[in-house]
Amino acid sequence: MTNPPGVELEMRRAMPATLGATEEFLADFFRESPALDRANRFAVELLMREVLTNAVVHGCRTDPDKQIRCCLRIKSGRLLIAVEDDGEGFDWRAARAHAVDFSDCSGRGSGLLRIYANRVRYNAVGNAVTLVRCLAGDFLSKKRDVFSGNS
Amino acid sequence: MIVVTREDGKAIVRPAGDSIVAASIPELRTKMRAIVEDGVRELVIDMANVNMVDSSGIGLLISAYNSLRKLGGQMAVINASAEILELFRTMRMHQHFSVSGN
Repeated sequence: MTNPPGVELEMRRAMPATLGATEEFLADFFRESPALDRANRFAVELLMREVLTNAVVHGCRTDPDKQIRCCLRIKSGRLLIAVEDDGEGFDWRAARAHAVDFSDCSGRGSGLLRIYANRVRYNAVGNAVTLVRCLAGDFLSKKRDVFSGNS
Repeated sequence: MIVVTREDGKAIVRPAGDSIVAASIPELRTKMRAIVEDGVRELVIDMANVNMVDSSGIGLLISAYNSLRKLGGQMAVINASAEILELFRTMRMHQHFSVSGN
């Protein structure tokens, strides 16, 4: 399937809510994607892993009878990741407001999205998220203070 | 295959594969738990072959650190890539255990 004019890559997939399916999708994406520098390659993979794992584990409780749907688009130096799951959603506003204590073994995923993406948007219910990351320039250094650092 | 090198109370763990992520942590968690239960009090995670750590992997490392600290032990990460070092410093992990690069 050819991409629309000006779009360097577009991939859409509906998959069962399992980590195995998301691993396959990640492998397929990096096989098809344009070459990325190391920093972007790492950031893009991390962002994709966080949103896909959240959708599988938290959104769908790793129920293979449920689906997650992902759209990835690279266009004009920007990556868009959109993921929707069949789950009931979550209170992303409360999650954003919650300060993660260092000793907590979970709860860092949404904070990582805000560090490595330029924009993060959830739908009202919290079962769909859209991220945008600019693939040019270095913005990471400006976005460190998402975590409280308390122990 | 996870490779573990033991020397008295110290163990160096080299994860299998190139990622410490949600899909791969169950096996690593089981191995690390067994190592600590076996009496290891100094745990070194060798990231020489690791290109990716996600929040699940971070959670596993912090869980291991928490367990060791309760037992008076310590943990260190060595040979982390530049990107993983950056991630760990952003997460303030270097303020709690040693994190060094390759």
